[in-house]
Amino acid sequence: MSDQDNKAVDRAEISGMLAKKAPEMKHILNYCLHCSLCAESCFLYMSHDGDPEYMPSYKVINSLGKLYKKKGNVDREFLEGIKGMVWNNCVLCHRCYCPIGIDIPRMIDFTRSICRSQGVFPELDEGESWL
Amino acid sequence: MIIAERKPFEEIKEMLKSYNNVLNVGCGGCTSICLAGGQKEVNKLNAELTKEIPALKIDGYVIERQCNYDFFADLDEKASQYDAILSMACGAGVQFVAERYTSIPVFPALNTVFCGVDRNVGWFEENCRTCGECVLGETAGICPVTRCAKGIFNGPCGGTRIDGTCEVDKNTPCAWTDIYNRLKEQGRVSNILDVKPIRLWQNQTRRSLIQEDYKARYAE
Repeated sequence: MSDQDNKAVDRAEISGMLAKKAPEMKHILNYCLHCSLCAESCFLYMSHDGDPEYMPSYKVINSLGKLYKKKGNVDREFLEGIKGMVWNNCVLCHRCYCPIGIDIPRMIDFTRSICRSQGVFPELDEGESWL
Repeated sequence: MIIAERKPFEEIKEMLKSYNNVLNVGCGGCTSICLAGGQKEVNKLNAELTKEIPALKIDGYVIERQCNYDFFADLDEKASQYDAILSMACGAGVQFVAERYTSIPVFPALNTVFCGVDRNVGWFEENCRTCGECVLGETAGICPVTRCAKGIFNGPCGGTRIDGTCEVDKNTPCAWTDIYNRLKEQGRVSNILDVKPIRLWQNQTRRSLIQEDYKARYAE
């Protein structure tokens, strides 16, 4: 267990990051039509027999979407919980297709930045896998 | 995956000696995975630099790819606040950062070593020289360019030892002995009976690739 594991998250910092990008991010979060077209363009979704947890829209709504919904009032457990979703379940290949132009990788990228700001990222040297 | 390793600390220190306000930029791609330039390594190097050079103000930030401008938006906002950037990406990433912020000196914190595979945590092996003319189909999945000390295409040479090791180093298996043995196991030894023609060695010049389906898009 690292020192980070017990450290409280800086909610003000998370809220600040969310607020700074709120106009851009909330706009694209609100415009998801749940059409699932992004799913079929995601090779991870296709190679996991259509497991809904690999749908690009699912990953964004359940990570960044929840961060906005909770206004950044999350704990380390929450960030650790979404870590797999934004690192293991997405390789940021930019191949996901959205008919209305939502930039899904940009949102996953932003979610990773929020996690990183609180010291939550894959511990690759301690046996955590990446995919 | 591209494998890199951190430069000697003294070399990094020397590169930064004229700067007081530096941003150390990690990469969330290959150099994170090879444990050379990810978040953890950025934090570690910054702690060492801060301890060694108290006057230096050094911040850390990781972007997910330094080889793709789609991930540069946040860095664009930060870069101008610093008088130098230290990049913990591979050589390709460092150059991409330098090309983006031409008025800011960009320094490499890593040496890009090879294109390879993970043997275990923190243990990597070179498997490809990205020569641009892959012959693995003929050589049973063993690369003679990478794994033969001489990189020869019509092996083995006279330096193969009786035990199947290389004359250069007795701990190095002869790539061509391995190729022969595996082809024999697969019943494909005839693959290497013909003399291969001289190669073009295209990697002597800077390469660029546009996949076939995208050529029309960039035609102009």
